[in-house]
Amino acid sequence: MNVKVVTRILEANERIARENRRLFDNAALYVINLMSGPGAGKTSILEKTLSLNTGLRIGVIEGDIAGSDDAERIEKHGAPVVQINTGGACHLDANMIYEVLQDLPLQDLDLLFIENVGNLVCPAEFKVGEDIKVMVLSLAEGHDKPLKYPLMFQESSALLLNKIDLAPYLDVDINKIKKDALSLNPNLKIFEVSCKTGEGLSAWTDWLKEKALRS
Amino acid sequence: MHELSIAQNVIDIVSEQCTRSGHTKIDSVNLRIGRASGIMPDALIFAFDAIKSDSIARDAVMNIEEIPVSGLCNDCAKSFIVQEEYILYCPLCNGSSFQITAGRELDIIDMEVS
Repeated sequence: MNVKVVTRILEANERIARENRRLFDNAALYVINLMSGPGAGKTSILEKTLSLNTGLRIGVIEGDIAGSDDAERIEKHGAPVVQINTGGACHLDANMIYEVLQDLPLQDLDLLFIENVGNLVCPAEFKVGEDIKVMVLSLAEGHDKPLKYPLMFQESSALLLNKIDLAPYLDVDINKIKKDALSLNPNLKIFEVSCKTGEGLSAWTDWLKEKALRS
Repeated sequence: MHELSIAQNVIDIVSEQCTRSGHTKIDSVNLRIGRASGIMPDALIFAFDAIKSDSIARDAVMNIEEIPVSGLCNDCAKSFIVQEEYILYCPLCNGSSFQITAGRELDIIDMEVS
C-alpha cells in the first residue's frame, strides 16, 4: 500500500536548529556561521577579531574533520572555545552544535562564532541555528569561485575578501569577484581585508559590533 | 557531497513511518529533489543502496523526480523555468531582481509498503 510521507529530508536538522535558535535567543546571543574553503583564513580572521578591542564578549565553536589546532589558537586569546571533530563529515550540522552548547557560557557572551569545516559547498546547506552566515574567500583562490560555488555566496550576509595584500602578486580580478558575488546576492556586504597587514579589519569589526549589539 | 548522510536520513524517516503505519517492509521510496539542492540523484541512489541492507528498506527501490529551477522575475513580472542549476539573470528580460520559487527541494513524497 501507498503511505504518504511528505517530509523534508532535512527536517530533523531544521528542528534541532530551531532549538539551538531558542537557546541563543534566551541568552540574547548573536550567532554567526563562518564558512569558507580550507585555508582561506577563517581562524586568522577570528584571531584578529578577538585581538581588536571590540568590547564584545565573543565565544567560538571550532569545526574541523580532525585535530584541535584551531581551538588552541583561539584559546590563546582568552575566548571560550569548544572544538568539534566531525570525524570525516564535510560540514557541521545542528545536532553537533546542540551537543556542545552546554560547554559554553552562553549567558556571558554577546557573540558566538561557529567556524564551519573548510569546504565551499556543504556547510551552506545546513542550518545550525545561526543569525547570519558569513563567508571568507582568499584572493589566491581565484576570481572564478562565486560562479563555481554559488550557494555559499547566495546564503551569506557578508563576504570577507581575505589576503588582499597579495593582490599585486596575483592575476586575480577582484572586481569580477565582487561583481559576480553581488549578481548572486545583491545584499551581500563585502569587506576587503588582510590579516597580515590589518587592512580593512576595523570596518569588519565595526559592522560586527553593530550587528551583535542590535540583537 | 554528503549524499550518504542524506540517504541515512531518508532511511530513518521512512523506517519510522513504515513501522508506525503497522507495516514491516518498504518496497519503494519516492523523492523529489531540486536541481539546485546540491544533491546528485545518482549518488543518492548509490548511497541508499549501499546502506539499506540493515534496515526494513533493504528491498526498497528509490525513485527520484528531479525538479528544475523556476523563478518569478520582479522586473518583468513573469515566471520562468530553466534547465541550469543556478542563474544570475532573468532568462526572459535579463533583469537581476528575481526570486527562486522551486529547485531547492529535498523531500520524501510517499512510499510503497507491505
